[in-house]
Amino acid sequence: MLRAEPAREPSSLRTARKVVAMMNCEEFELRGLDLDRADADPQEAAAAAKHAEICGRCSAMLESWREVKCDLRLLRESTRLDSAPARVEMRLKQELRTRREARVPRGPVVVASWALAAAAVLVASVGWLQTHHKAGQPGVSSSNAGMTGNTSQKTSNGDDAEMLLADSDSASFTQLPGSLPSASGYESVLEVRMQRGALERFGLPVDPDRASEFVNVDFLVGEDGQPQAVRLHQDSQIATAMQ
Amino acid sequence: MLDEKPEALLKRAIRGDEEAFLTLYQKHQSALYRYALRMTGSAWAAEEVVQEVFLVLIREPRKYQAERGELGAFLYGVARNRVMKHLEKTPRELSLDVMNADGSAWYEPEDPLTPMMIAEKRERIEQVREAVLELPAEFREAVVLCELEEMSYEEAASACGCPIGTIRSRLHRGRALLLAKLELLRDAPRRASAGAK
Repeated sequence: MLRAEPAREPSSLRTARKVVAMMNCEEFELRGLDLDRADADPQEAAAAAKHAEICGRCSAMLESWREVKCDLRLLRESTRLDSAPARVEMRLKQELRTRREARVPRGPVVVASWALAAAAVLVASVGWLQTHHKAGQPGVSSSNAGMTGNTSQKTSNGDDAEMLLADSDSASFTQLPGSLPSASGYESVLEVRMQRGALERFGLPVDPDRASEFVNVDFLVGEDGQPQAVRLHQDSQIATAMQ
Repeated sequence: MLDEKPEALLKRAIRGDEEAFLTLYQKHQSALYRYALRMTGSAWAAEEVVQEVFLVLIREPRKYQAERGELGAFLYGVARNRVMKHLEKTPRELSLDVMNADGSAWYEPEDPLTPMMIAEKRERIEQVREAVLELPAEFREAVVLCELEEMSYEEAASACGCPIGTIRSRLHRGRALLLAKLELLRDAPRRASAGAK
C-alpha cells in the first residue's frame, strides 16, 4: 500500500522558523529594535516580534523604544525645514565668482595692453606729424612724439624751433616692404619704443621667441604721414631681430 | 538641471557655472546643515560646517572621486570631519530656547492641539533633543543618521566611512543610552508625583 509523503517546506520558510525559534533576549536587544525599520530583514523582524510576544522584559523595552521613536519623529518633524542661512549661499557665490575671475589668464592681457599702448603712441605720433605738415608750418616744435619717442632737428635758418626732419644718415634705415623712397627730402624721424613683434605689422620678419622684447625704433615717416623705413637702435640688436 | 548627474553638475560648477553650483548646494545643504546642527547643537557651528564643506568643493574639487562613492556621501564625510573637529575643541553648546536653530520661529505641525498639548509636545521634543546631544559623538552620529535622517545602514556606513556592522553596533549602544536617559527623565516627575501622594 502506498503512503502519501508529507509535503516538504520550502527551505526559506524552514530558515525563518529557525530564526524565529532561535532569537533570545540578548539577540533581541541587538536587533529587535530594528523591527519597525523599513530596511529591516523581514525574517529577523518576524523573529523579534515573536520573541516580544513571549518575553515581558523585551516587550517593555520595545514599547519604550517605540515611545522614543515617536519623540524622535516629533524632533525630526519640528526641524525638517531647517537649512543653512542665506548668507552662506551668498558667501559661497562670492567665492565662486572670485575664483572664476582669478582664472582669467593675465599674461596675454599684459602683452596685449603693451602692444596696444605702443600702437596708440605710433598712431598718435603719425597723426600729429600729418597734421603738422598739412598746416605748412615747418617751424612748429615737436617736443615729444609719444611716451618715449622724440626726435628733432633744427631748421636750417638756425631758429630754436625744432622740426621733424629726416636724419641725414638715412642710408642706415631699412626700407619697409611696399614703400617707395621719398624724393622730397621732407621726411621725419620718429623714435618709438615698442615690442619687437609689432614690427611684423610693417612687413618685417621677427623672431617669434623675441617678439615680446621692447626695442627702440626710428621710423622714417614720409610727407604723407606713412612710415617708409625703419631703423632699430644699436642697443636693440637690429641685426638679430631683422633676420 | 535637477535631473543632471551630480558629476556633470560638479564639472560645470568647477568651471565657474554658478547655476550648476547652486543646484548642488540646494540639493545637499539642508541635510548637511541638519546633521551638523544635531551633532553640535549650535546653529553657528552648523553654518560654519556647511560653508566649509562647499568651500572644499569649490577649492579642491579633485578631492571628490566619483568612482569612490556618491557626491552626497563625500559631502557627509567632509561635514563629519569638520563636526568632529568642532566637537574636539569646543564644549557642547545647548540651546535653551525653543526656537529653531536659525532663529526662526518654532515649526509647529498644523494639527489641532490644545495649548497644554503643545507645551507637552515641546517639552518632549526638547528632552529628546538634549538626550541626543548628550550621547557620545559616535553613538550620536549613528542615531542622527539612522533615526533622524532616516538613512539606511548602508547609507549611514558610507557617510561615516565605516562598515555596516559598526553602524549597527553604534546605533544599538546609542539607542540603549537614549532609552535610559529618557526613561530617567520621564520617570522623575512620575516618581515625584507618586511620592507626593
